[in-house]
Amino acid sequence: MSVAVKEKETILNFLDGDFGSVSNIPAIAGLNEKGAGNISEFPFPTRKDEDWRFTDLRSISRNHFVPVAEAGAESIGDISDYYLPEATNSRLVFVNGEYNPELSSTKDIPENVVVGNMAAYSDHDILETHLGKYTNYDEDQDVFAALNDANFKDGTFIYVPKETKVEAPIHILNVFTDAKKAFYATPRVLFVGEAYSKATIVEEHVALTQNEYLNVTVNEFKLFEGAHVHHARIQRDSKKANHISRPIAHLDKYAEYHSYTICLGAKLFRNDPRVVQNDEEVDFTIDGLVLIDGDQIADTHSAIDHRHWHAKSHQLHKVVVNDNAHSIFNGKIFVRKDSQKIDSFQENRNLLLSENGTVNTKPQLEIFSDDVLCSHGATIGHLNEDEVFYLHSRGLTKKKARELLVYAFTLESIETMEVESVHKLLLDEVVKYTSRDEEFVAVGK
Amino acid sequence: MLEIKNLHASVEGEDQEILKGVNLTINKGEIHAIMGPNGSGKSTLAKVVSGHPEYEITDGEILFEGEDITELDADERAHLGMFLAFQYPIEVPGITNRTLLRESYNTIARENGREELDPIEFDDYLKEKLDVIDMKDEFLERSINTGFSGGEKKKNEVFQMAVLNPKLAFMDETDSGLDIDALKIVSDGINKIAGPENAIVLITHYQRLLNYITPDYVHVMMGGKIVKSAGKELALELEDQGYEQLEKEFSLNGEAQ
Ligand SMILES: Nc1ncnc2c1ncn2[C@@H]1O[C@H](COP(=O)(O)OP(=O)(O)OP(=O)(O)O)[C@@H](O)[C@H]1O
Ligand SMILES: [Mg+2]
Repeated sequence: MSVAVKEKETILNFLDGDFGSVSNIPAIAGLNEKGAGNISEFPFPTRKDEDWRFTDLRSISRNHFVPVAEAGAESIGDISDYYLPEATNSRLVFVNGEYNPELSSTKDIPENVVVGNMAAYSDHDILETHLGKYTNYDEDQDVFAALNDANFKDGTFIYVPKETKVEAPIHILNVFTDAKKAFYATPRVLFVGEAYSKATIVEEHVALTQNEYLNVTVNEFKLFEGAHVHHARIQRDSKKANHISRPIAHLDKYAEYHSYTICLGAKLFRNDPRVVQNDEEVDFTIDGLVLIDGDQIADTHSAIDHRHWHAKSHQLHKVVVNDNAHSIFNGKIFVRKDSQKIDSFQENRNLLLSENGTVNTKPQLEIFSDDVLCSHGATIGHLNEDEVFYLHSRGLTKKKARELLVYAFTLESIETMEVESVHKLLLDEVVKYTSRDEEFVAVGK
Repeated sequence: MLEIKNLHASVEGEDQEILKGVNLTINKGEIHAIMGPNGSGKSTLAKVVSGHPEYEITDGEILFEGEDITELDADERAHLGMFLAFQYPIEVPGITNRTLLRESYNTIARENGREELDPIEFDDYLKEKLDVIDMKDEFLERSINTGFSGGEKKKNEVFQMAVLNPKLAFMDETDSGLDIDALKIVSDGINKIAGPENAIVLITHYQRLLNYITPDYVHVMMGGKIVKSAGKELALELEDQGYEQLEKEFSLNGEAQ
């Protein structure tokens, strides 16, 4: 053979790890083994892959990540600032991906409901039945979902039985600490909501310092008939972190799943939310709000799959870009041949505050049915200078005027937050984002 | 209070002059009306005076209470007590009237060393001012001008003026597009606000506004200049005769110059 074949790269080129060791929980062990196989097989994505065309992965591929245990990670101190008052006793804390029982409290969780670390449920039927059954990222040879499969030992397990309502919001708090070396962590969530159950989830990722790490998250949500879930996702990772997120929801008849992903942190955030409709009459939301600056990249590749009659779906993806930041949005909406009476809304609205920011947006409809109401669109704009002047002429400084206008732009997304303290937290984050010391770079109309 | 001397202005970055030597003096306690055909530069004058960044002053000066304000930003002019009621009030979705007014009011108060009002005090203050323009409470909660009818937008400008209590207000066609009831309400409001300590400049095309508000002076603007100033009778004259006669005179003058 004379042709030198360049060995394809896998994610193992960029990280250390012994993926032979598996969990002693059978349901997890199975996934660990499958994942270990996949990560050595699946090629690491390149710009040639359609789904990664615009995404700069060098913050991963030029780095090297080690398991948390080898990273010299700092131990956790008092993190009560990050607790939600509504979830004082319905909180799970994971530090660098590992469950921390001392900082967690589930006293407010009803007896018949499970909220805990999946590693503690060695022979739970529900866990056995559902874990790993809903992700479909392997079909795309997704190296990140595979890494999560291979590596996770701990994870959130929530099971809400039939006709049960969990009053307190469940706070899944993923905290990342400083470390000597860049590390990887693989948070995992399995949510199973039985018929006509109801729960509110606040999934948060927050860094205590601005260090480098790779956070690879997989969420599986299974909602049985008539189950309702409100799912707030707050991403406040380190501005040097990479966060790859794979949340998928499977909805049975009459189920309602409303998720809101707020992206504030991370050098690279890649989120691939998917919703699969298993039966008629479902109603769901996968909204997003992205506030980025510096050299942050926030990439959302969503897939909404309408397979049956009478689905209502909503996706408002709002983005504010400052400095050299880069937002990518690719929203696939499928309407299968046999699904009629679909009411689907999708909009990607981008606000560019700087000359050098970049926005790539591609709403993508694939409709094979005829009785469908699909509205979709994308806009990219700057702050309206007439609006700025209106406020300015009323005595507000230009900076304040712009702050208010950015704030107004984001408000629609934030107002959907059900948990009061999360709402408040996000308002504070928006103010923090808009009132940076430097002046906004003024951009014409 | 306001002295405009030989003011020349053009659109920023363009040569074409829009204001070609405006002279105007306004004293405390006065009401002025500026009339003139479309495109004569009335709105431009109001915007230049309020500090709109779209225009560049190429000559002349604007003195407010003796101070040259041509270098000041629009917000600084507002802090001094200047106000512009826009000909086309824009919609600002997402920011409520209350939010804007509280921010404005308190910023201006702070800049002038006056006490700021807390939310509860400010609400009481707002309620008082709603009466000036016969506006309902619910307008406070609505996004600025968003989805307002033409008349409501104009009323909202007068309401903002009532709240901010400026020393000098330019009101750019606040009467245009108002039905007879709204015109009465708006004129009543302006009359309530007008006083010995402030001055108001009404830009209008219609005598009918001046049936309700009596100006001390009426000016005619044409081709970027004030070409004639007189008492309130000038408005009636214009209503009768239109601008034709003046246009002839003015262009003759223009040629003679
Ligand atoms: N930003 C701008 N760019 C270009 N031309 C402008 C601009 N602003 C004003 N002009 C021009 O300057 C002239 C005066 O406009 P202005 O709006 O001041 O007139 P006006 O007297 O207020 O008219 P109207 O009675 O119709 O409101 C017009 O020819 C207008 O087209
Ligand atoms: Mg005008």
